[in-house]
Amino acid sequence: MSWKMKALKKSVWVFHVNTGACNNCDIEIVNLLTPKFDVERFGIKLVGSPRHADALLVTGVGTKQAAKRLQEVYRQTAKPCVVFCMGACAGGGGIFEGAYHVAGPVDKIVKEVDPNAIIAYVPGCPPKPEAMISGVVKALAAI
Amino acid sequence: MNQEELDNRLAEISDKLIDTQRISDRRVFLLCESENSFAVNKFLFQDLALRFIIATGIDSDSCFEVLYHYSNDETGCIVTVKAFIRDRENPSMESITPILPAAEWIEREMRDILGIDFINHPNLRRLILSDDWPEGVYPLRKEVKK
Amino acid sequence: MSVLANVLFWIAVVPGTIILGLIASWIVRKVSALVQWRVGPPVLQPVYDVAKLMGKEILVPECAHRAVFMFAPLAGLAGVLLLSIMLWRITVAQSAFMGDIVVAIYLMVLPSLALILGSSASGSPHATMGTSREMKLVMSYELPLVLAFIVVVIKAGGSLSLADIAQSTPVWSISGMVAFLVALLCVQAKLGYVPFDMAEAETELGGGVIMEYSGALLAAWKVMHTTMLVALPLFMVMVFLGGFGVGSAGAVAAGAGKYVLVVVLVILIKNTNPRVRIDQAMKFFWVYCSIALILAIALATIGGYYGIGWL
Repeated sequence: MSWKMKALKKSVWVFHVNTGACNNCDIEIVNLLTPKFDVERFGIKLVGSPRHADALLVTGVGTKQAAKRLQEVYRQTAKPCVVFCMGACAGGGGIFEGAYHVAGPVDKIVKEVDPNAIIAYVPGCPPKPEAMISGVVKALAAI
Repeated sequence: MNQEELDNRLAEISDKLIDTQRISDRRVFLLCESENSFAVNKFLFQDLALRFIIATGIDSDSCFEVLYHYSNDETGCIVTVKAFIRDRENPSMESITPILPAAEWIEREMRDILGIDFINHPNLRRLILSDDWPEGVYPLRKEVKK
Repeated sequence: MSVLANVLFWIAVVPGTIILGLIASWIVRKVSALVQWRVGPPVLQPVYDVAKLMGKEILVPECAHRAVFMFAPLAGLAGVLLLSIMLWRITVAQSAFMGDIVVAIYLMVLPSLALILGSSASGSPHATMGTSREMKLVMSYELPLVLAFIVVVIKAGGSLSLADIAQSTPVWSISGMVAFLVALLCVQAKLGYVPFDMAEAETELGGGVIMEYSGALLAAWKVMHTTMLVALPLFMVMVFLGGFGVGSAGAVAAGAGKYVLVVVLVILIKNTNPRVRIDQAMKFFWVYCSIALILAIALATIGGYYGIGWL
């Protein structure tokens, strides 16, 4: 385990990207970052720029309009980084699967840019903050 | 205004309507043809001073329907103007945005998704479809399968 | 000082300051967490943060001016380290010189200047907004800061040497207390903490001044920030609160206590205030602080002339 990945697991700075979500998952992510759940104990911090981020919290089914932008944000994130697909829509389309405006679920969009991207899925509609914490911790332990 | 007053005032434009349906105490539908919808909307917004909520576009098999919803805040009654557009090939209707600026975006959305052309609309550009969506394909029309 | 102590000092001062800065930044995060009734990060968290940042790739935007972009964080870090070395040397080796307070004020401007340089070389509209705000902020709080130090110089009898200034405790007088409070707010603005963090406003500007930085350069900015958390409160202790004595264990403990007091004041102000707009901050520093300090200077001069200590 290289020292880079070891340090990455102890200090994860997250950036939130919405690629066409109904806002439910976004509200839960914002809930997650409040003092009640205290994710700073795990070293998780919200940053304002993808260049500072280690983890992208992506919500929403990837719409055609948002697909190019999500790829640009992924390219701007300094590697190594992890992509967390939060919610059923980001994971596999959710209730919008096959709709006219969907450019594929988020992992398909990200893999077009980087086939070796590290992607983790947190299901739920929306996933509870406790589920998100558990998902992030498990994903970091499994890297 | 209370319910009685509303009913009396609504009788003034009954010549422009096909029918007035009162589903319940708080739900009134005013059915009209698309040619008369501007006059009916103008009456409801300017003369009766009802509050505009939102508009809906529906693709019924034989025609298009455009519904404008208004609220009478004093009684909680919702008055809906249901306009029928009989021409399925080139549906068009007069836009109410010149008198009601709040309707600008919802009419743009109906144009994007259903293809209803709004005459006199000040800003009929693409709103919610993506930049690379082909022109002339209207996703929520019944004949568009995928 | 003996030769051995000298050698030990020069070996230990830079790593020691950086480590002390990381511990201080942990104190800030932990006390902020306790104020918000939560647990907060573990002790080694700042170390993990810096280690992780060193392991990430450095992305330079296409429109950025490469040389200045990469040089600015190093320049800021060098300025703060120079200031810290000077202050520690004055404290430990008692080697203050005439005019060292002027050098210290000059060196304190370097990190803000480096921030402005680096963000204007970033080639991004968000960073440009951050640059303009940072420039306005620096121009606003430098005057009250210098006026506060003038009050202290007057109270110390006109001497420009930190050794004499550290002998007196100007804070136990009206003008000194006013100067201390205003200088505390200016230090808050220099550190970039709420209520004066509009240059690096995360929610508004997406990172503002340091938005385009990543990897090791971002680590340099963060270490510069944490080292400022050592240098600036130490300077405040030496100027206002009577210095950091190293004569005995008691004196060292008292000095450390004063340093912790200043840091805790900064944290408490940070946690109980919202962010202000740049025009509100400018009005605050230019109008209210400057007027208060001009009154304080007047009081200090009167007190010095008539020999009244508590003015």
